[in-house]
Amino acid sequence: MGVITEEARRWADREYPRFEMTVTATDIAKFAHATGETDPIHFDREAAIAAGYPDVVAPTLFPYVVRMHASALVPPDQIEADGSPSGDVPPLPTRRAMAGETSVEFGQRVVAGDVITVEKRLARMYEKEGRSGPLVFVEMEFTFTNQRGELVSRENFTRIYR
Amino acid sequence: MSALPEVGAEAPVQTRTPSAVDLFMFSASSWLLHRIHYDTPFTTEHDGHPGLLIHGPLQGVYLVQTAESWLGEAARLRSISYRHLAPAYLGDTLECGGSVTAADEDGVEVELWARKPDGTVTTTGKARFEKSLMRGEK
Repeated sequence: MGVITEEARRWADREYPRFEMTVTATDIAKFAHATGETDPIHFDREAAIAAGYPDVVAPTLFPYVVRMHASALVPPDQIEADGSPSGDVPPLPTRRAMAGETSVEFGQRVVAGDVITVEKRLARMYEKEGRSGPLVFVEMEFTFTNQRGELVSRENFTRIYR
Repeated sequence: MSALPEVGAEAPVQTRTPSAVDLFMFSASSWLLHRIHYDTPFTTEHDGHPGLLIHGPLQGVYLVQTAESWLGEAARLRSISYRHLAPAYLGDTLECGGSVTAADEDGVEVELWARKPDGTVTTTGKARFEKSLMRGEK
């Protein structure tokens, strides 16, 4: 009974490599445009400085961009048919993924030039019976720090496989 | 520093209807490769959805933007939790709003939501904002 096999449980114990991303003003501008931001502090260095920041400042949820690169910036042969990075997909019969719950705490803001390190671990994996069959919940925990060792963000993200 | 709103105050509703280009930009800017956000045949045939999905994290951004543009420079987001209750598809309009549920001397707690015009709530969240001294506060 249950779809989380012993193999999947062992997969849960794996360690994920730390990932480092040097955040450029271009990275920030892309995410800011993609989300419809218009405040010049995300695009214009002078405007950001005038507002009290050392450089162009990232939108609040920008650490998401860092953790996605940590998971998916891999060679194409490590990407599954649905576009998910292989290293993120547990060996389960439930393969269709959707976003579940997200909880984020914020520390220092991200500005252009920051080197953000993300550490990742699998916090919990559990299953429930859904209307259309088993659902597997995989909760990852991400900790983001900057080049000064200051906490930028801590995020728990649950992906649901059905 | 402007004052924060009181318990019960409601955010102006922001209406968002992301286009296919918006969905692609969000995927591209975050290097999110999941096909359900840009490959319609895969999304309908493999995953059984009626169309491309509006990203859960993009809806999270909409909730944050709704609160940030309302509270302005008086406060800074310290924490947020949100979850997705129903899928939202390309072509859907999302109305995003929220209200203050608690207030103390340091800040406010707000509840936030995104819903379709028919009332279906797609994403709901709770956030805490704390007073900031200056905009570029460290």
